[in-house]
Amino acid sequence: MNQDQSAIASALRAILADHSTQESVIAAEGPGFAEEAWKVLGEGGFASISIPESAGGSGGDLADACVVLHEVGRAAAAVPFAEHTLLAGWALAEAGRALPEGVSTMSTRSSESLSVTAADGGAVLDGVLTRVPWASNAAQIVVLADLDGAAQLIVVPTASVTIEPGRNVALESRDLVRFDKVSVPADAMVAAPASVTAEALELRAALSRAALISGALERVTEVTVRYTAEREQFGRPIARFQAVQRHLVRIAEQSVSAQMAVDAAATNAVTGLDFFDIASAKIVASEAAGIVSAASHQAHGAIGMTKEYELGQLTRRLWSWRDECGSEASWSRRLGAHLAEEGADALWPRITTGLAPERRNEKVAGR
Amino acid sequence: MKFTPTVLTEEEERLRDDVREFLAAELPPDFRPGLGMGAGANREFSKKLAARGWLGMAVPKEYGGQARTAVDRFIVTEELLSRGAPLGAHFVADRQTAPTIMKFGTEEQRRYFVPKITAGELAFSLGMSEPDSGSDLSSVRTAGTKVEGGWLLNGTKVWTSGAHQNDYFAVLCRTSPFDGDRHNGLSQLIVDLRAEGVTVNPIPFLDGGHHFNEVVLKDVFVPDDRVLGELGSGWMQVTSELAYERSGPDRFLSTFGLLKYFLAEHEPSSLSSEQQRVVGQITARYWTIRQLSLSIARTIDEGGAPAIEAALVKDIGTKFEQQTIALIRDVVDIELDPHQGSMFELLLAEATLSGPSFTLRGGTTEVLRSVASKGLAK
Ligand SMILES: Cc1cc2nc3c(=O)[nH]c(=O)nc-3n(C[C@H](O)[C@H](O)[C@H](O)COP(=O)(O)OP(=O)(O)OC[C@H]3O[C@@H](n4cnc5c(N)ncnc54)[C@H](O)[C@@H]3O)c2cc1C
Repeated sequence: MNQDQSAIASALRAILADHSTQESVIAAEGPGFAEEAWKVLGEGGFASISIPESAGGSGGDLADACVVLHEVGRAAAAVPFAEHTLLAGWALAEAGRALPEGVSTMSTRSSESLSVTAADGGAVLDGVLTRVPWASNAAQIVVLADLDGAAQLIVVPTASVTIEPGRNVALESRDLVRFDKVSVPADAMVAAPASVTAEALELRAALSRAALISGALERVTEVTVRYTAEREQFGRPIARFQAVQRHLVRIAEQSVSAQMAVDAAATNAVTGLDFFDIASAKIVASEAAGIVSAASHQAHGAIGMTKEYELGQLTRRLWSWRDECGSEASWSRRLGAHLAEEGADALWPRITTGLAPERRNEKVAGR
Repeated sequence: MKFTPTVLTEEEERLRDDVREFLAAELPPDFRPGLGMGAGANREFSKKLAARGWLGMAVPKEYGGQARTAVDRFIVTEELLSRGAPLGAHFVADRQTAPTIMKFGTEEQRRYFVPKITAGELAFSLGMSEPDSGSDLSSVRTAGTKVEGGWLLNGTKVWTSGAHQNDYFAVLCRTSPFDGDRHNGLSQLIVDLRAEGVTVNPIPFLDGGHHFNEVVLKDVFVPDDRVLGELGSGWMQVTSELAYERSGPDRFLSTFGLLKYFLAEHEPSSLSSEQQRVVGQITARYWTIRQLSLSIARTIDEGGAPAIEAALVKDIGTKFEQQTIALIRDVVDIELDPHQGSMFELLLAEATLSGPSFTLRGGTTEVLRSVASKGLAK
């Protein structure tokens, strides 16, 4: 982490300690969205980190944004930073547009089931998007679509669509959105620049979940280490038992592995998204999510299975985020297919490219 | 340590057919299955089972049972679990309380409680864990003070499954002061969950549901005749109870519905090779673990006391239940939603949220392993 990033992390940690308390995390499960925490992030300028100042953002890069996500994950805050900022905000900024008012969200699945046709200078959207994060809490949904052979970014107000609420197991909004021949005017559209592709959005989304996971893992580690040091059975802290120590070691190993993968992928992504890096980060983080959830629950005993205790707020997120934007299994298959195509001789060289050299220099320079 | 494979007799197979027929008639096609012991509680359903003679099967006839075997009970139980049937109302009493009362209880307790249990009329909870006593159960602080005609009970129990729905619970408590050996001076008291001084407070479960509770006991009067078995023998009784609890079908079938509904909702020709692999892998292990578990029931019928084997099978079974969730999840690629989706998808969400408890309830994996490893070292 460079100095800017450390500053972002510590400022955010302090803010979220006040505005993403255990009580407010539970309270946010009603609406599926932590409005208060999101408002506070906006006021502090954190909600638009990585969006250039010229587009109304606070500046910074993708690695800075991953620091924000790490803190959001730690605090179990149900805020739409990934979709609003990393996807919708970024895409519009690349196209020279500023972010509209209110929460924006964006689906990485628009090509699947949405038909877009030209009409009266604008467009008509018809179809369904599934599992759109925060749609019920958003003012608009940004859609990347092909219109007569040209990629367009289309801003659709949520007032003009039908939303069927859904949730992930952490009870964050993941909604079904029906576009029933929704017309949008010409000024709601802008040509998507070459950088904004479905693949780029997918990679950014996967990186966002990996970063959220790394934050939650770090916090689960702390909570479990603390609890097992305090909890006494057989006259001593359970952390003194070898079997429990094994869980703690496992949790810590997985957590630092995920952290490392995300850190490298995020830093490399600043100069260009890389499929191998981001797939690897998502695979390692998602796998760690499962292992750490299991081990931390085991080490806690029944207290961890309660709704109020902090652990469950984190593990339910881990169980959600590991699947979102591609599970480790699906990324593994894709990565495997990709590696097979690249050929055996390319394998070792790729593995030994951790932090890409040209980017490592920047990172060091940034310190 | 020895596990001997066993074959079901013709009579046992007939019992299985009867249970299958019964379940086909009782559980409609759109019935929402549950996960193992966590499946819903339905007293009417339990009474229907009782009417068929399928509760308290091993209890002698004069106490309302059928004088059948542990294997017979195993068969009925595995059929119920494989369908995700609502067995919550009778499960604890059938598995644990009735055998304990038969084994240790007074004659009056046997005559009063057991026929009502086998009729599906009385539901029991277990009052063992406390805020500061989990794995280290003999450190319980709930205590009875001797008064005229009985005991005044004070303390707090936690994680008491079903206390909000059930009638009684068997409370492990201290009835005489510490004498240097913590295992002495503990007793089990049968406490009416509606008695004066008993407060049942829900503890919301991880999935938001109401499953377990805190039960606060404040000057609860328990008559002398509700001391279960012998005063001061609580520790011995409770630990022998845990052996009943350990290795049955409820320790490996909790997530069977996942595999079943996965297959039900996928065209065979649409399965990828990975999916086929996982289905085969899981099925082969069900086949194996079931035989381990069944062989313990057979050993019990033959007069054995396979406590170490039971601990080992519980460990294998409950870990396997969790691995099943992971293996299936790996080949489906869906995002979980606790409220909507196909039956398979709903069960996968439910299994993910309740899965960690499989290796906690009834004694944690770590503690079981230490029991098993001590046994292995012998
Ligand atoms: C869904 C559910 C339902 C339950 N229902 C009931 C019920 O109806 N009635 C009831 O009385 N209880 C019930 N329980 C409680 C259950 O029996 C306890 O959770 C269990 O005994 C563990 O105790 P604990 O939760 O206090 O964990 P702890 O004992 O605090 O254990 C925490 C961790 O430390 C480890 N540990 C502790 N001691 C040792 C040791 N000596 N060596 C190695 N590792 C050790 C444990 O294995 C665990 O990993 C239920 C629990 C769950 C999850």
